Amino acid sequence: MKVRNLSLPFSSEIISCLNSGDKILLNGTLYTARDLAHTRLVELMGAGNPSPIPLDEGALFYCGPSPVPPGRVCGAIGPTTSARMDSFTPFLLENGLKVMIGKGDRSSEVCDAIRKHGAVYLVATGGISALLSRCVVSRETFLWPELGTEAVYRYVVLDFPCYVAIV
Amino acid sequence: MKTAQRLLSDALIQEKVSEAIGKIFCDREPHAQELLTHALESETDELARDILEDIIDSAALAREERLPLCQDTGLLVVFARLGVDVQLESCLRDTIEQAAAIAWHKYYMRDSIAPDPLRGQLDECEDMRSETDTRLPIVLHLEQVRGDGLSLDLALKGGGAENMSALRMFNPSAKIEEIVEFVVDTVVNAGGRPCPPVIVGVGIGGNIELSAVLAKRALFTNTDERGACYRGFEQDILQRINERGRGVMGLAGSSTALEVRILTAPCHIASLPVAVNLDCHAHRHIQVEI
Repeated sequence: MKVRNLSLPFSSEIISCLNSGDKILLNGTLYTARDLAHTRLVELMGAGNPSPIPLDEGALFYCGPSPVPPGRVCGAIGPTTSARMDSFTPFLLENGLKVMIGKGDRSSEVCDAIRKHGAVYLVATGGISALLSRCVVSRETFLWPELGTEAVYRYVVLDFPCYVAIV
Repeated sequence: MKTAQRLLSDALIQEKVSEAIGKIFCDREPHAQELLTHALESETDELARDILEDIIDSAALAREERLPLCQDTGLLVVFARLGVDVQLESCLRDTIEQAAAIAWHKYYMRDSIAPDPLRGQLDECEDMRSETDTRLPIVLHLEQVRGDGLSLDLALKGGGAENMSALRMFNPSAKIEEIVEFVVDTVVNAGGRPCPPVIVGVGIGGNIELSAVLAKRALFTNTDERGACYRGFEQDILQRINERGRGVMGLAGSSTALEVRILTAPCHIASLPVAVNLDCHAHRHIQVEI
C-alpha cells in the first residue's frame, strides 16, 4: 500500500499519479456538504450563480458533524454515504469539483464523470471520529447555518487519513 | 391474591438510561470489540488491516476522552421488558425520551432527526416541519413480562447501516439456498455504505413487521439467546459473505461481516418473510436492568 502525504488543491499531475487503493494523508480545506446542502448548491448554480464553495480548491466532504463540545476544536466528524449525492455530482464535476470524500460505491455515471473531468473520489473510514477529529486544525461555519448539521462547515485538516477509491 | 407493586420512579429510569447512552455513544459493545480484534488477527489484506487498526485505535481514544465513536450518534432504539408487578410514575416512552434529551444535550450528540420525512415537499404537511418537540423520537418495542423488573436493551443506530437493510416476502416453498443468497447479496451489494465490518441481524418468519423486528432484535442477542439449531446456518452465511471479498469499508479484505445473528418466529402457511438489518462496526448496544 502506497502512502502519500498530499495537500489540496490537487493538480492534474498529482491526480494522474493516483491509483485506487493508495492511502492519502490529506492536508488542506474540506467543505462539508450532505443531502440538503447539495440540493441548495445545485439549485443555486443551476440558476446561473457561481458556486459559493470554491469547488476547485478544497475537497467536498460528505459529512454531517456533531456539535462542538466546549474546549474542543470540533465535534465528531466522519463520512456519510456518498451514493446519496450521486445525482448532483456530475453537474458539480462539470463546474470544477475535483476532490470528494465519503464512503461507499458511486454510480457508473459518477465514475465516468470523475474520469472524464480528471477528478478523484476518496473514501474515509466511518466510525473513527475520535481519530479524525485529531486531524482538524480549525473549523468554522461557512454557509447556511440554519441547516444545522447539514450546513456547510469549513475544516482545515492535517494528515487526514483516506483512501483513493475512484480516479 | 394481588402481588405488591414495585415502584420505579421516573428519576431512576432517566438516570439509568441517560447513563447508558453516555456509555455507548463513546464505547462499543465489548463483544463487538473482541470480534474486531479477531478480525484484525485473521485479516491478511494490508489496506483492510490498516483500516481495522484505525477502527480499534479510534475506539480506545473515544473511550478515554469520551468522544463519540461516530458523528452519526444515531436513533435510540429500545427493546423494553416491563414486569407486570412494576408500577411506573409516567408512560415509559415519555420517561425514556426525557432521558434521551438529557443525554443528547450532555454529550453533544448530533440532532439527526427530520421531523417531516418528506422534507417539506407536501405543503399540506407544514405543521410537521414546525414541530420541535419531536426532535428525539425513540423507537420503542415494549413487552410485558412476569416479575417486578424493567429490562432495557438500548442501541444507538446509525443511518448508513439501517439504509442497507432489506425485507423480502418469499414463497413458503423457497429453498434455503435462496434465503442464503438474499442475505449474502444484501450485505455484499451494500459495499462500504453500512460501514463494514457489519453485524448482520436476520429475522425469519412472523409477518412483515415481525420479521423486521426480529432482524433488529437479533442484533442485540448473544449466541446463547438464539436457537442453537441455527448456529451452523449463521456460520455458513457468515463464511459466504466474507468469501465474496467486499471487505472493510467496502474497500478490501475478507472482514465484511463480524457475525450473523438469526431469530425466527412461526408464520402463516402462505408466507415466509425474511428481513435483514445491518449494524455498523460501532455497534453501540447495552443492556440495562432496573
